[in-house]
Amino acid sequence: MGLYRVAHSEGASAISVKQWVRSLGRTVEKFVAGCQPPKDRSDSATPSRPSTTATEYRPLERVELTDEVSRTLFEEYAEHRQSKRGREEIGWVLMGIRRETDALVLATLPAGQQRSASDVHVQFNSSAQALAARIVRQWNKQLTLVGVVHTHPGTLRHPSDGDLEGDRLWVPQLRGHEGIFTIGTADAKSHEPPGVMWQPKSSVQCMGELRLSWYSLREGDRKYQPLPVELTVGPDYARPLRMVWSAIEHHAERLERLVRQQISVKFEPVMDETGPVLEVTIALAEPKSALRVQLNGEEVRYLLIRDGQALVADLNEPQVDRGVYLLLAELAKSA
Amino acid sequence: MDFRPLNDTERKTLIGALRGNADQNQTLLMDRRDTSFIGTTDEVTDEEVINAIKSVPCHY
Repeated sequence: MGLYRVAHSEGASAISVKQWVRSLGRTVEKFVAGCQPPKDRSDSATPSRPSTTATEYRPLERVELTDEVSRTLFEEYAEHRQSKRGREEIGWVLMGIRRETDALVLATLPAGQQRSASDVHVQFNSSAQALAARIVRQWNKQLTLVGVVHTHPGTLRHPSDGDLEGDRLWVPQLRGHEGIFTIGTADAKSHEPPGVMWQPKSSVQCMGELRLSWYSLREGDRKYQPLPVELTVGPDYARPLRMVWSAIEHHAERLERLVRQQISVKFEPVMDETGPVLEVTIALAEPKSALRVQLNGEEVRYLLIRDGQALVADLNEPQVDRGVYLLLAELAKSA
Repeated sequence: MDFRPLNDTERKTLIGALRGNADQNQTLLMDRRDTSFIGTTDEVTDEEVINAIKSVPCHY
């Protein structure tokens, strides 16, 4: 299998369409803004902030969870407490839609097996969560990061001072410059009937011994505000990813590279004869043709799809991006 | 057609939309009857989400 170095032509100074549009945008902005004070421009040009959109965000007044999101949080929290690492803190990233005065949570991304955690801290496996976010956003481009849930092993039902220090620096990146922060504790009193969620306060949910206390934090705030939480019927978009989470964690960084380099990469969790598999499909130039990679934990299988027929590639390459490019090179050679 | 100067809010929204279009490929919405600017979509870019996820702080 031959690999060739690609020669880049340098010295040409052609302007790209994107550069042209950007330049046009700046010109129109100057024209429209007239003598606008420079402060406005520098503030909104800060790269880490989300861009201005049609929605005027005001402080959060409530958070709405789908029933499946709520069930996921309580079920996985309970499972975690029964596991070998049950004494450690655990957590989830919440994805959803930020609306004018509320947020609708539609997906939960778990901390992952490769998280760093103890009984006093939890740091999520963000590479896996970033890839998972890309996958769920295939189905809804409005989904954004709206908050974080994490647990405390004791009875502290409020984010700690350490949490506040980090969250205050982080929330300016979020829509509305505000985030949702939830603390899980296992100190609720039993309530009848068992297995049914109840709310002792508008900002607190309990199920069995588990309690979730909901807060918001806005840019510049010195303390968290209790946030009323409500339920609606709906999915947890990230729930189907649980069955392939080990593959997501194992291959996240290489898949992220592939997505950045190739436009038409699609992901789908599926069940085949070997069990749950994360399928990665890269469209080829020919119609009805694609490269497909099947990821089952650490295992990688490469297939060539032509007119609906799948041909298994004789390639034993554990690094998924490398395997894809070797196959693309082979296909280019034979084209 | 109603030709008039933009008010402050309209000007601010238009500038934000042009900036979003140039920097992040955000869609500009146009009124099909008179081609006037009517806003942007609320689609969020992958980069915005990925950057926020990768910078989630450690929690204690």
